[in-house]
This record gives sequence, structure tokens and C-alpha cells, in this order.
Amino acid sequence: MFVQIKDLTFNYKNSRKPLFENLSLGFKQGEVTVILGQSGSGKSTLLRLIAGLEIPARGSISIDRAVMNDSLRFVQPEKRGVGLVFQDYALFPHMTVEKNIKFGLHKMSRKQKQNRMEELLTLVGMEEFASRYPYELSGGQQQRVALARALAPNPSLIMFDEPFSNLDSKLQEQIRDDLKDIIKLTGITSIFVTHDEEDARAIGDRIVLMHDGKIQEAGRPEAVFKKNREKLSLAYV
Amino acid sequence: MLYLIRKMRSQFNSWALLSFIFSILIILPALLIMVQLFAESNENWEHIKEFMLKNYIINSVTLVIFTGLFTVIIGVCAAWLVTAYTFPLQRFFKWGMILPLAIPPYIGAYTYHGILNYTGVIQTNLRNHFDIKVDQKFFDIMNIPGAIFIFTLFLYPYVFIITRSFLENQSSSLIENARILGKSSFQTFIQVVLPISRTAIVGGVSLVILEVFNDYGVVKYFGIQTFSTAIFQAWFGMGDIQSAIKLAGTLMVIVVFILIAEKLIRGRKRYSYSTSKVRPLQPKELKGWKKYSVLSLFLTWFAFAFLIPSIQLLQWVYMTYDVILNEVFLDLIWNSVFVASIGSALIVITALIIANFSRLSKGWFSQFFSKITVLGYSLPGAVIAIGVLTLFLALDQKVIVLYEWIGLEPTLVLSLSISMLIFAYVVRFLAVGYNSIESGFEKVGTAFTDASRTLGMSVTKTFFKVDIKMIKGAVAGGFILVFVDILKELPLTLILQPFNFYTLATKTFQYASDERIHEASVSSIVIIFISALSIFFLHKVLEKEPK
Repeated sequence: MFVQIKDLTFNYKNSRKPLFENLSLGFKQGEVTVILGQSGSGKSTLLRLIAGLEIPARGSISIDRAVMNDSLRFVQPEKRGVGLVFQDYALFPHMTVEKNIKFGLHKMSRKQKQNRMEELLTLVGMEEFASRYPYELSGGQQQRVALARALAPNPSLIMFDEPFSNLDSKLQEQIRDDLKDIIKLTGITSIFVTHDEEDARAIGDRIVLMHDGKIQEAGRPEAVFKKNREKLSLAYV
Repeated sequence: MLYLIRKMRSQFNSWALLSFIFSILIILPALLIMVQLFAESNENWEHIKEFMLKNYIINSVTLVIFTGLFTVIIGVCAAWLVTAYTFPLQRFFKWGMILPLAIPPYIGAYTYHGILNYTGVIQTNLRNHFDIKVDQKFFDIMNIPGAIFIFTLFLYPYVFIITRSFLENQSSSLIENARILGKSSFQTFIQVVLPISRTAIVGGVSLVILEVFNDYGVVKYFGIQTFSTAIFQAWFGMGDIQSAIKLAGTLMVIVVFILIAEKLIRGRKRYSYSTSKVRPLQPKELKGWKKYSVLSLFLTWFAFAFLIPSIQLLQWVYMTYDVILNEVFLDLIWNSVFVASIGSALIVITALIIANFSRLSKGWFSQFFSKITVLGYSLPGAVIAIGVLTLFLALDQKVIVLYEWIGLEPTLVLSLSISMLIFAYVVRFLAVGYNSIESGFEKVGTAFTDASRTLGMSVTKTFFKVDIKMIKGAVAGGFILVFVDILKELPLTLILQPFNFYTLATKTFQYASDERIHEASVSSIVIIFISALSIFFLHKVLEKEPK
């Protein structure tokens, strides 16, 4: 497994009941996994735990055979080499598209940074927007920039937190397809978090159903949906 | 256990360390006073306790109760009128009613005394043009009612600002409902507005109370014995730091008691609404006699609280500027700007460090730091001054030993230097800068910080490249607020200023105390002008910004 989560326990400071209790889960290299669940099921928190933005109470997480945290270690988020596309993109409003994308590029010459930035803008089809500020872009364009920014440092794993929730439904479909193509092109291991069954079906190689901090089902999309038709339709009506 | 150690290690960094050090420094003066409050007392203190303490308490409490009462009446009524109705100049009064805050009460006190006394403009004119001689007792404001009048005039804006912004932003649906249910305006005010604004009013009036306890200028000038004057008396008059500490400690206990009472009054009734929609209240147009009577009320009040004292001061400036405006005065301005800039800069830096640490690590430990920053603002300036003085005198004892050890001439270095004054400013006004910066951080949230960290930037790099740039406005606002507060500060500066070092505020007070009130006007006007400018900037310009 490329990402391995073992016996993970986590609770938020203000709640007595842990959100995750002894959660174990693995993600294969190059696979696109969709974590599907309603809001409050803990799926976004799981991403934050993998990224190192939250500190678990117990358990271990390893990425590419390197331990990120266990009882002795905690690797800070900036040392994990993980990309994360935020729900509302979190593009730095005081930087242009170009600066945003170059933000995560360290230990590179100016020329290398420029090349990498251009390469990514081409990948997401935003070559013309390098000097724009985030507020001068539409929601879909912002999302592409957020993706380019997350991919720029060449992470071994990229994660998306509800990437389509801020887009209108017409745009959503198109961007979803584009995104899928880009990911396939890079061959990067990806984890999506969504509450939308359609998204999950369209993107995922594998689906993980999550409810109340527990994994209910994991497997190929067809199998998961077939087996859980009743539960899903109840939950999403 | 292993996990606990790992958790501490994962959150421990230079931010935590610096926050810890700064917080310790901030509470140290108060702690020293608390410790010495229980030390063995001397003869002076026994004397003070037996014969004078009761008087201090009665005077201070009388001032606090009546000022509190009157500021609530005026602040709340004014806030309600400017938010619920439109009338001529209503838009101006929305922020114009805050302007009296630009006039420090001690300046207001000597100005009003100058207007009303035997040689003042009123009595002179009555004598010369109408041949009327008045009974002096009707024109004497140098007593407790006079001090209450002065405090009310210049401190009510605290109640006004907080109540107004509460009414503007949060109450519309409740008030509209009351109207729809057939309540008259007056009934709405009594039955709905007053109860729902209770937390805001308590918040505002507790600031007023803290200011009254903090005051030294007004009560000293008017010759009223309070805790502040007693602390000065003990330290400067008798050179008795022990009694000064005991007085400061007693006052501190009273203030803490009041703060606890405030928490209890606010208590469970922390009104928040089920709806997240914030809609401003639609004001109703006033017509006919109501319109003119409300307008004249506001004009009269504004005249008393701002125009009359300002015009009087300007006239005095006209009389004295050629004597006053010289190099010495430039030195004063330089001194004031110097200590205010350094103090504000240090406060902003300290506040940024503690606020950033406490927002990123959510444990009780960091929350504790953020609570400590408020401490200094609750304590009267004289109390902090005595605490800081004790601390620096103790440090000097150590320094002297060190000097002797090295073989140098031992002197009181630290407690005579300007660093002691600036340190005291930081303790006193950290909360002002901190609140501004904390609310800036709250508005921005942590998403940008998280994004930066997943892109390979450490906490510190993120702070410089992302965080600080996103809260520039809040940092600037905090700096301005603190700068003005230091500029106006009197009691603390009087106690701690190095020999032969004066600021605009302390020079003003010195002139006024020497009955050279005309000479005091130039520095007063400079203070008022800079304060008014910052009020205009913060309440008119910044409030217009889209949120």
C-alpha cells in the first residue's frame, strides 16, 4: 500500500467521543480513491490527518513506506510532500496566479521555477492567466490554479477536499472530466473527498463509503454501489 | 504517555517559547504586587488603612457608580437614536458621537475649569458686559459631581460604540418583530432593545469603569482623594514603595472583583441568534417636532463633549502659541512619538507572536497565553507602574551586584531608563493591539496557512509570506489604536518617566497643575488632533470597507 493508515484514533478538542476509533485504511499507488460520505462523517478530517494538519491521538500513518506519525514521531505538514486542494481553494489573494503556483517550489533556480510554472499552467489550460489575481478568475479557473499549485512541487500524493462543491452543476461535470484526465496524465496517487455520488462514480477507481467516522464499504465503484443501493438512496434522498 | 510527549514535541517551536516568555513578562508585575500584598506591613500602611482607606474607597466607588450610570443612559440612548431613526446630521453623529473620546478626561477637566472659573470666558463676559457677579459655588466643578460630569462627557463613547454596533448588526429581526406586533418605539426600546443589548452595555460600561479607576489626571486636578492619587502620594510624597504596593494591590483586588462580576452579569445570557443572516436595521424617519428635538439634543451634547472644549483650547492656543512653539516643544513631540512608536511596535510584534501561536495550536496552554494579554488593560496605570517599578528595582539589585563584580561604579541603571516606561506601556496596552490582530486572524481563518504548509513552508515562513500579508489592515489598526493610547497615557508615564523626560501628556498635566492652563493648550490640541484623526480613520474609513 502506498498510503497506510493503522489503528488511527482522533478526537477534536471539544468533543468527548472520538471521531475515529482504530481506523485502518490503505491506498494503492497510482489509484484514484473517492471517500464518499455525508457532511460530518469525518472524511475531510481524514485528509487533514494524512496531510499533517491535525495531530492524531493514537495510531500511525505512513506514506510511501515512510512513517509520518506514530507514537514517537510526527512529521510536520511541510515535510510530508503531500498536495492538498482545499474546498474553497485557499489561493493566496495577495499573489498572482504565477506567484501562487511558484509558492511551493523550493530549491530550484529561477529558470526552473518559471519552466515548472509554465508547464503546469499548460497542463491545466490556464497559460494566459499567469499575471491575474485570484479574484479576477471564475470559480472553475480558480480551481484549476489550485490544482496546478498543489501539483507544482511534484507531490507523491494529491488530495482533494470537496473539489466541486463551489461550482455550478453545469460547470461541475466538465471540470470533473478535465480533472480526471489531468490526474490520469500525471499518474499520481489521488484521494478525493465528496458527498456527491455522481462525482464518486465518475472519478473513482475505488470507493470508500464513510459514515460517522467508520468505513462501511470499500471496493470497485460498481460493486460498492450495487451492494449499498438501498442505504445510499436513503442517505442521499 | 508516549503520545503526550510526542504531542508536546510536535507543537513545541520557537513560537511557543516566545509566547511563553512574553506572557511571563506580562504577568510578572501583577504577580509581584500580589505577593507583596501579603508581606508584613509598615507604619505608614497601618495609618493609611486606619484613617484614609475608607475615604479612598468611598470616593472611587462613588465616581465609578455615577459615571457608569450616566454613561449608560447617554451612550445607550444615543446609540438607539442614531440606529433606529434618521434625522438631519444622523449620518455624521454615527461616528461624530465617538469624537469626544479624542479628548482625554484630564484635558477636558482643566479646560472646563478654565471656562468656568473666575477668570474664565463666561464669568469675565458676565462681569464686563452685563455687570453680573455670580456666586462662585455654582461655577465650581472641582468636586466629585464635577468629576462625574467630566468623566461622563468624555467616556460615554465606550458605551455608545459597542451598543451601536450591536444594535446595527444583530438586532434587526427582533426590533422589526416588536414593531409589527404593535409596540410603540418607546415600548420597543424598554422591552426589547434594553434587554437584548445588555451584554453590549455591560461590555461598554466595564471599559468606562476601568478608565475611571485608571484616571489620575482628573481627580488629582480636582483634589479628590482616590486610589490613584493615594498611590502617587505614597510613592512620590512619602517615598514609601511598600504602601504604594499595598494600595495598588487593594485596587487590583477590587478591579478583579468587578471583572468577575461583569462575567457573572453577562453569564449565560450571551445572546446569539438562531439566524446567521445579519441584516442592518432599517431606520425610521423622524418628522416634525421630534426631528428637531432629537437634533438639538445631539447638537447640545456634541457641543459640550467636543466643540466647546476644542474651541476654548484653540483660543488658548492662539494666545500662547508664540511662547510655546519652540525647540522644547519639538522635543516633547519627539519624545511622545518616540515612546509611542517603539511601544506600539513592540506590542504589535508581541501580539502577533502570541496570537499566531494560540490560533495554530488549540490546546488550553495557548489559550491561557491569549487570556493573559488582557490582564494589563484591566489594571489601572498606577498599579502597573508600581508593579513594573518593583520589578526593575529588584532587577537593578542584581545588576548592581554584577557591576560590582565586574568592577564598575554601581548605579540604578534599569529603573532610571526609558526601557522601564516602554515595558510598562507594553504590559498596559498589549490587549488593545492583541484584540485587533486576533480579530484579523479570525476573519482570515486558517485555510491559507494550511495551504502554505502543505506546499512545504514552515510555520515561520508561512507567517512572513502569507499570514502577515493577509492581516495587514488589522496590524495597522492595532498599531494606530495603541499609538494613540500611549500618546494620551498619563498616570503610568508620570510615575515611570525618566528624570527630565516629558511627553505631551505629562507636560500638559504639569502646566495645568501649575495653573498655567493656557500654556497647556498647545500640547492638548496636538493630542486631541491626532486622536481625532485616528478615530476618523478607524470608524469612518475602515468601516466603509466591504467585510
